[in-house]
Amino acid sequence: MKNIIAKYRIVISIIICLGIIYFCTLMGVTSISFVDANKILINQIFHIDLGMKNISEGAAVIIWNVRLPRVILAFLTGGALAICGAAYQGIFKNPMADPYILGVSSGAALGASIGIVLNFSGNFLGQNAIAILAFVGAFLTIIIVYQISRVGRVVPVGTLLLSGIAIGQSLGAMMSLIMIYNKNSMTQIMFWTMGSLNGKGWKQVLIVLPYIIIGTLIMLTSVRELDIMLLGEETATQLGVNTERLKKKVLFSSSIITAAVVSVTGIIGFVGLIIPHIVRMVTGPKHRTLVPFSLFFGGAFLIFCDTLSRTVASQEIPVGIITAAFGGPFFVYLLKKRKKGGS
Amino acid sequence: MERLMPKIMLDFKDVVAGYTDKNILCGFNATICQGEFIGLIGPNGTGKSTLLKCLSGLLEIKSGEIQLDGVNNITYSHRERAQKVAVVPQSFDIDYDFTVEDIVLMGRNPYLSYKSKESKNDYRIVMEAMEGTKTLQFKKRLYNTLSGGEKQRVIIARAIAQEPEIILLDEPTSALDIHHQIEIMELIRDLNLKKSMTVIAVLHDINLAARYCNRLILMNNGEVIVDGTPSQVINEENLKKVYDMKMLIQENKLFGKPEIIPLRVIKSHEMYRKIRVHVICGGNNALQVLEGLEAMGHNVSAGVINQGSDDWMICEALKIHMIEENPFTNISLDKQKENLRMMSECDIVYISDLPFGLGNINNLVGIESLKCKIYLNNNWVNNDFTKGLLETCVNKIKNKRELIEINDDHEFLKAVKKWTMINH
Repeated sequence: MKNIIAKYRIVISIIICLGIIYFCTLMGVTSISFVDANKILINQIFHIDLGMKNISEGAAVIIWNVRLPRVILAFLTGGALAICGAAYQGIFKNPMADPYILGVSSGAALGASIGIVLNFSGNFLGQNAIAILAFVGAFLTIIIVYQISRVGRVVPVGTLLLSGIAIGQSLGAMMSLIMIYNKNSMTQIMFWTMGSLNGKGWKQVLIVLPYIIIGTLIMLTSVRELDIMLLGEETATQLGVNTERLKKKVLFSSSIITAAVVSVTGIIGFVGLIIPHIVRMVTGPKHRTLVPFSLFFGGAFLIFCDTLSRTVASQEIPVGIITAAFGGPFFVYLLKKRKKGGS
Repeated sequence: MERLMPKIMLDFKDVVAGYTDKNILCGFNATICQGEFIGLIGPNGTGKSTLLKCLSGLLEIKSGEIQLDGVNNITYSHRERAQKVAVVPQSFDIDYDFTVEDIVLMGRNPYLSYKSKESKNDYRIVMEAMEGTKTLQFKKRLYNTLSGGEKQRVIIARAIAQEPEIILLDEPTSALDIHHQIEIMELIRDLNLKKSMTVIAVLHDINLAARYCNRLILMNNGEVIVDGTPSQVINEENLKKVYDMKMLIQENKLFGKPEIIPLRVIKSHEMYRKIRVHVICGGNNALQVLEGLEAMGHNVSAGVINQGSDDWMICEALKIHMIEENPFTNISLDKQKENLRMMSECDIVYISDLPFGLGNINNLVGIESLKCKIYLNNNWVNNDFTKGLLETCVNKIKNKRELIEINDDHEFLKAVKKWTMINH
């Protein structure tokens, strides 16, 4: 039995994730019956009409254009953040690393708050202007942090980490300053920084999807070298890893994924930090399993949190609050349990 | 007899390397052939580890050239170099839960592209490497749970899995107990002999280096001081140049290799009034006394000593003036007189714990006329192999003058200390 699970664990995980996506799509504040919801999904996916006449237009829109894309976006966001977290923790050899450690989130938040303050409600090239500004902010931050830390062709990870934190702090200060002088935008900025999937649809899914696919593929082609990086850069070099190239490749691609995700959803914390740790406890430190399972588990975790955020109270709670509220204690529980196990 | 036409594996030409403001290697030159087992020895900070770093591509050299298998080292990619050169560090800890097999499998990385998974052949090589290092039985255990010696064997297995031509070791035994030190060195020697792998090891233990390596390179301040076989390199003249200390070098009869016994570095803080001391010795028991007197800075002499005895060796090593006699020969009248003359110039004469036979009893002839203090080790009663002649001799002296009897060498040294110490 154990062998079968081990052999097919990827397939089993995919099935479980699809199941979660399905069930969470059915759940929501607006009560749509189980049968109706299924009919809508079957109609949309397979174009088979099982009696759509009795179902209101509104219900169909809620299921297909609101809930399903939101659940899928939650999956992609959670998965992407978890993969990036795993990659950062590997490259930096630091368990505290998360996708925001290089200041990407602060850059995005500053960009978004500028957009909010200047009241950029319009669209540009079919995209939300605030999201574009957030992406630009995040992207510029990566470049600045990278340039500061660079010594010739070499980028020492220690310096990178410190300059990321320093730049992140100063950008955060600038954002606070903007908030103080624009008190009426404060709430909106606050909500943005807590992260939310509210009101996101297929368009946002399509925006982040290519980044996530390409980023995940890059990560998957580097799994062996990422493992070796955990032994330290010197040993990795002596085992034939071009560490500078690997660092650039992985840091750059995960920064871009993070920037894309953050600009769409705001700052959803904790997923990128704890999911890789949890997965590592179960599957071990090898990236060949760590990367795909971080994707599945991070995705499932964020779907779960987002479903709670939109169903648990009459007013929607920003999902960042839920991830932290659940993730923290769960992580502490696992740490304690692991200690008892003695490994 | 492949070694008749050795292939040049490594050629260092005037290698200068170091960090931005300081050169660690200042013109290192050496040519290393395939199948050599080289020990790099020398004090801390002389560039031994830096040399390994340059060779394994971690540090760029500032000038000069390293030729690896006939090609300039800088033209290799890390991947290509890792197929030729494997490194075993001093000790190695990992914060992550990798199994032993995971770690050894990483040695195959230089041969795998990002697309390919490890093949059956890779697993076979890894298994052989683990078999050779006796790590196969715990391949599924977590690396972190192993002992120091086991960890080092796993890292050597990883190096073997790289199928290198050269293996570099940076103090591979310094964190291990003697059992595991010898185990690791034997393992490396096997690799050297059976797979004719070229080995370059940084070693602090000179005795270990002399025993296992067939060539030693003694370094100091980033340069080669001597380069040669252990017996060419390990001698007092060479080692004094780099290690500022008193030492004793003798041949280890068991291995036929030179062996060093480090004596002391720090000069005594206590000050002594320098006196002339003569020790009557010649057996195997006066080493401590001779060393102790020498350490106090006294002008020490000894005699009459048969060549080849332990006492003779330490006098040689410490450059103590002595009256010598041929091995296993009775002390001649000439030597006896010479000895007596030497004693007459002394402040103290010590008759050490020395077996007396008919061949050396004449050491004591005439000493009753000496003006200096004479100390006698109490153990003389057990050292009488002269059928009572010794007792007669001692009694004769006792009748004529004072003999200070003491229980052991330690007590004698204490007495000398007390007598000559200068109070501040």
